Amino acid sequence: MTQQQLQHLYWRAGFGIHPKSNVTLSKHRASVVEALFESSKAFTPLNMDLSYLDGIKPIDLKNFPELAREINQKGVKKILEFNVAWVKRLVNPSELLRERMTLFWANHFVCRERNPLYAEQYNNTLRYFALGDFRDFVKAISKEAAMLRYLNGKQNKKARPNENFARELMELFTLGEGQYSEKDIKECARAFTGYNHDFGGNFVHKENHHDNNSKLFFNHIGNYDGDDIIDIILENKQCAAYISDKIYRYFVNPKPNKKHINAMTEVFFKDYNIENLMRFVFLSDWFYDEVNMGSKIKSPIEYLVGLTNTVPVTFEKEKDLFKIQKILGQTLLDPPNVAGWKGDKAWIDANTIMIRLKLPSVILNNAVIASGKYDEFKKKFMTKHKGRLPFKTTPDWTTFLENFEAVPTEELQDYIIQGAINKGTADYLQTLSKVSKREYCVQLMSLPEYQMC
Amino acid sequence: MDRRKFLKNSALASSLFFVPNFVKAFESVAKEQLGYKRLVIVQLAGGNDGLNTIIPHNNDLYYKARPKLAITKGILKLTDDLGFHPSLGPLRSLYDNGELSIINNVGYPNPVRSHFRSMDIWQTASGSEEYLQSGWLGRYLDLHGKKPYNAMEMDEQLSLAMKGEHFNGIATNDYKVLYNSAKDPYFKSVINHYNDAHLSEHNLGYLYQTMIEAKSSAQYIFENTNINSSQETYPQNGFAKQLKNVSQFINSGLDTKVFYTSLSGFDTHANQNNKQTRLLSQYAESISAFVKDLKRNNTFENTLILTFSEFGRRVKQNAANGTDHGSANNVFVIGKDLKKAGFYNDLASLSDLDANGDLKFNIDFRSVYSTILSRWMDVSAEGIIPSEQKLLDFI
Repeated sequence: MTQQQLQHLYWRAGFGIHPKSNVTLSKHRASVVEALFESSKAFTPLNMDLSYLDGIKPIDLKNFPELAREINQKGVKKILEFNVAWVKRLVNPSELLRERMTLFWANHFVCRERNPLYAEQYNNTLRYFALGDFRDFVKAISKEAAMLRYLNGKQNKKARPNENFARELMELFTLGEGQYSEKDIKECARAFTGYNHDFGGNFVHKENHHDNNSKLFFNHIGNYDGDDIIDIILENKQCAAYISDKIYRYFVNPKPNKKHINAMTEVFFKDYNIENLMRFVFLSDWFYDEVNMGSKIKSPIEYLVGLTNTVPVTFEKEKDLFKIQKILGQTLLDPPNVAGWKGDKAWIDANTIMIRLKLPSVILNNAVIASGKYDEFKKKFMTKHKGRLPFKTTPDWTTFLENFEAVPTEELQDYIIQGAINKGTADYLQTLSKVSKREYCVQLMSLPEYQMC
Repeated sequence: MDRRKFLKNSALASSLFFVPNFVKAFESVAKEQLGYKRLVIVQLAGGNDGLNTIIPHNNDLYYKARPKLAITKGILKLTDDLGFHPSLGPLRSLYDNGELSIINNVGYPNPVRSHFRSMDIWQTASGSEEYLQSGWLGRYLDLHGKKPYNAMEMDEQLSLAMKGEHFNGIATNDYKVLYNSAKDPYFKSVINHYNDAHLSEHNLGYLYQTMIEAKSSAQYIFENTNINSSQETYPQNGFAKQLKNVSQFINSGLDTKVFYTSLSGFDTHANQNNKQTRLLSQYAESISAFVKDLKRNNTFENTLILTFSEFGRRVKQNAANGTDHGSANNVFVIGKDLKKAGFYNDLASLSDLDANGDLKFNIDFRSVYSTILSRWMDVSAEGIIPSEQKLLDFI
């Protein structure tokens, strides 16, 4: 594997790689890819301390409104805490590919949950199935307390079916828009009636609310429940195609390639095994085509985690990790709607591009992109901000210099930037002094090219 | 070029070339004489329940379909048949002054009940089987805009409505932050070396273009916005903050024709009443403050406010005291000198519903857009609205 290919793989299956860890890797694609899967075999749930909920029963919340309020307020804080814990996990993952896939699925089976217990449970279900059996995955999602609340599954009862989950199940989770009729939605909703959960977030099937009559769904007739419906949906190859398309756009190139997506569909339809599908993608020659390298606009999380992967940085206030997500337009656990973040060009507008270009210098270099003739700007900037920066950080340049020791400063751009550099900018980079590796790194991170991976 | 446009352009040219700089103050006057009109869009995201917004208080079918959800108390009766939700009180004076037009039963053929698809349809002005990649306001910009700040969205991200084929509006929820980050001299050097005209077709080119446009727009907005132009007190919520920014931009005379704002949370599948009450009062209080602010600055007469939602809700309530996704809905048009204020048309029949139990539409939303484009923005709808539409008489 070439240096470029290795970086490409690690930008898609992870959040980049630095040159020091490159050298320890084998040069054979098959073994590099296999190592990724091997190291993600384990499953390490992401947990927080929720002991304040111990012993509390639903009736207590009804009887003691004060307690309910307190629990609610704690919940809001816990969600923030969980957000930061998740970002930290991404920066320092125990299972890299599994975490990367978890992030992908969180924007597929989109859910917004404010109860920390259910949110944590949901998040770990995404993590558990991230590389597993898609069929089991969809079934598990349909029974998650968070999802039952978010798409009104628990309000879906025989007497009055609620179609919200049924619709999104087909439109967003499995088949794609326009692949079903309004009638299918109604019948599907009937099959999911009676789905509910208990206080602890465990799935409960309330038989008295379940519609036990037969349903006509996609030309199948039977007394179906939710699991049956999911089986019928997955019989349709369109489901494998829809998921393959989404995975291709996220992991390979935002511009779809029909031929490659068709090949993926064939692989996925065989057994709906996510690991096999991902292995097929990462082993394919076309994955390493030049057109795919650096073709993707980094999501805010990819940007933030990637940056700290290159230059480790500690935030004095952990809340700032949350703030940055907000201003860049992607707060984990807080998706805009059930379709999730649109991604690609939608990440970038006049506002976010300027923040992205400015942020590396703010986090890593006191808001200064380059020294020398720009000192005047620094002075003015600091006066204006009364010497304070929006984020208090400690960048670990020592580790950066160690990790990039083998890379001459003039070649740093090949490691920091994925893909081609605009001709004019390349000329401009030539004129920069490159005395300091550290300074050149900040300059490179302040380019539009750095937004790509 | 038609005669009217010719006159307009030559008048503008004369004010630029023949009038000395020191009388530049006249420029804004000239603009007003030329009919410098602004359009403010308010998107109620999530599908607002139109039936509990404009309430058919005299209709048994309404109460029958919504035994627990129908509004029974505090309705502000406007006509014998229709009235405001109790939270819409602040809009009452607009209605009484003839500054509000309510168009009922707005929708499109073969309605799609998916939020995202329906929102895309409303934002792109496509038909329900048609997929467009650009928005109607974006295409307006393609044809009639010169700078990204000609259309501004008060948010962190730009809606599809504001994205053209070649041209995008600008999204910002804090223009000062934008300006401060854009000012770094390093960016100036990078931009000076930008030399690939064709790059914009690729993602990287898109990034460069956005950067260049952002930098110049940020400067323009920052230097031309008078923060003291708004003295009105606004309620404390995100939506009101968006409108306050809009009023500052309008009252400062920024060269922005379209403003896009949104209020979300209307997806009320369960326990609708509290949620909708809270949202509608946020809406009405904020709009009321906004209009007062514009009036005080004499800019109301050149401002038109259009409020829409991607769909209405089902007529029948569901078991969770909420409503599911429906189809046709009402839109609000607020402005001075409306041709037809009050109710533009009657509410569609509650006994003649479509197969899903939803209201039948009888006014295509693209008619509303076309009317606004040709009668308010003074441009042809051709090239902006893909299908030809009958014009309406509300302005």
